[in-house]
Amino acid sequence: MTPRFLHATRRRFLGGTASVAALASLSMPLQAQENLVPLDEYEPTFLNAAEWAFIMAATARIIPSDGDGPGAIETRVPVFIDRQLAGPFGAAADLYMEGPFDVDADPNLGIQSPLTPSEIYREGIAAFDAWCVDNQGGSFADLDAQAQDAALTALSQGEPQLRPELLEFWSLLVQNTKEGYFADPMYGGNAGMQAWLYIGYPGARANYLEWVGRNEEYRLGPVNIAGERA
Amino acid sequence: MRIFLKTIAALVVIGILVLLAIIYVPVQRTPAQTALADDWQPEDGHGEYAMRLADCMACHTAEGGEPFAGNRAIESPLGTIYSTNITPDPETGIGNWTLADFRAALYDGVRPDGTQLYPAMPYANFRQVSEEDLRAMYDYFMNDVEPVRLQVEETALAFPFNQRWGLRLWKWVALDDPGFTPQYDDPVLARGEYLTEGPGHCSACHTPRNTVMAQAGLRASDPEFLAGGEIAGWTAPPLRGPQSAIRGWSAEDVAMILGTARNAHAALNGEMQLVARDSTQFVTDDDLMAIGTFLVGLNDPDAPRAGTSDDAEPTQTEQLLTAADPDMALGPRLYLDNCNACHFVNGRGADEVFPELDGNSLVTAERPTGLIAMILAGSQLPSTELRPYRLQMPGFGERLSDDEVAALASFVRSAWSNDAAPVSASDVADLRGEVQPAVR
Repeated sequence: MTPRFLHATRRRFLGGTASVAALASLSMPLQAQENLVPLDEYEPTFLNAAEWAFIMAATARIIPSDGDGPGAIETRVPVFIDRQLAGPFGAAADLYMEGPFDVDADPNLGIQSPLTPSEIYREGIAAFDAWCVDNQGGSFADLDAQAQDAALTALSQGEPQLRPELLEFWSLLVQNTKEGYFADPMYGGNAGMQAWLYIGYPGARANYLEWVGRNEEYRLGPVNIAGERA
Repeated sequence: MRIFLKTIAALVVIGILVLLAIIYVPVQRTPAQTALADDWQPEDGHGEYAMRLADCMACHTAEGGEPFAGNRAIESPLGTIYSTNITPDPETGIGNWTLADFRAALYDGVRPDGTQLYPAMPYANFRQVSEEDLRAMYDYFMNDVEPVRLQVEETALAFPFNQRWGLRLWKWVALDDPGFTPQYDDPVLARGEYLTEGPGHCSACHTPRNTVMAQAGLRASDPEFLAGGEIAGWTAPPLRGPQSAIRGWSAEDVAMILGTARNAHAALNGEMQLVARDSTQFVTDDDLMAIGTFLVGLNDPDAPRAGTSDDAEPTQTEQLLTAADPDMALGPRLYLDNCNACHFVNGRGADEVFPELDGNSLVTAERPTGLIAMILAGSQLPSTELRPYRLQMPGFGERLSDDEVAALASFVRSAWSNDAAPVSASDVADLRGEVQPAVR
């Protein structure tokens, strides 16, 4: 199940804005693309060294680099996740965090963990890594690709028996990896708008109504919220 | 030689006497233009309504300040003028003013002590306000407005504009006869004319200034009246003539934009947003229609609406934008990247939401200040009772460089049927930093 709180509500998106006003209100200074620190020199804000190694390894298996398009590493998804966990998302700033929390509640009643997303990551990585050591013979980051895939598959099926407060760990990881891949580059991922180029999404241009119904290639590359073109 | 010296001396003496007379002889105050009974009383709400018509609030209330306590800094070409406290506080406001004092301020631009008021106060227009409206306003300010004790900032213009007595000479040139005489028999047109020329003081911004900075026309019969002016560096568009911002509009269109800040073609921008917020949204439908009917009547009834043509074919601009060729010039490319989502390839936007750019008076204004400021800082419509939504356009100042804003502005100024001069990057650089984001 995809955690519901990860989705901006349509109402919130539409409220108080008209169209692109929403995009602009989110805007903050963008690191110029050419000044990006190489990933191996990046100093994480939230994640410690072991957690960073895990996120680098796990996202690289969720969106691998040897497929048709760019992978999570080339698009700098780990940076996106680190920055999100260091910010309001990681601190559950927008979530209702008072009790009661009932792990047996109907899934439709929403997240039942008293932990913030950053706490779920921190404890989830530690617990899952410990499971990997016991069951796969090493820390997740040290496993080969095949063993990593097996471990992630096991995680997705609940095999490691993480404590109930960490139930959302897997779905958070997958969801945030996708978000880092496709979100605007100003959040740290989707470097160079590579994910948008790959799927042919024109980015924050927002509208090409006059092309609806035309069965031909739309040739303009994407533009991001900072106004850069790719 | 002696005669010559005597003549000079006599002229100097006469000059000094005239000067002293100008400075010290009390101004003759304009009397009431209609004799009302001493016990005449305005109907409930009349005073507040007249205040709304005259929009006293816009200038006499500071941003975030108490209503009518003044102290709003008004940028004029001569320097900053601070509006006065017009609450009934006896010491810092107008609590001790008589009706005659109040009338003299509105009609003659003089304070009870004889001090000349700067023409930031539109007494040139208020001279046409009826005695009924004037007395109702006086009653409202004295009895319904909360007194606020606030000593406003002293206006201190540079020499020679700090010599207020000089305004007495200026008024001989700048002011017309007091009172209002309609030029129309039709009561709706006459009402519209009164509201526009008198309390509405539309002419203060929408009429060009002559060489002595007086309004070049004060009445509908003057061809310069509402022929376009300037406010805070922005163009206040002409409301008549070939460049009229409302040519081809219906009276309903005019009434709608005054009442709600938006209509099917345009959205109010700049200072005019404050007019809708504080004044015109409170004006009755009948009065708005009267203003609309009067203004539409100043325009050629056969003129097509700006930006429209009978041609069903897409314009060249529309074809260029629709092709979405990656090799297109920077201006149209920036339009597609930034503007097209709302204003569309045909520049027509969407009724009451996204203004038309084709034929838009802000876009094609001779001075591009307003357009550049709009691109850099965006805009937010005021909430009005009928259309409460504060529609926003984001600013693009962070997204676009000076060169890009110039290329984009130049493009929209020449796109579709628009035909205005290009904008330079230095025009943009001059404004960047001065404009504040409209959407926070």
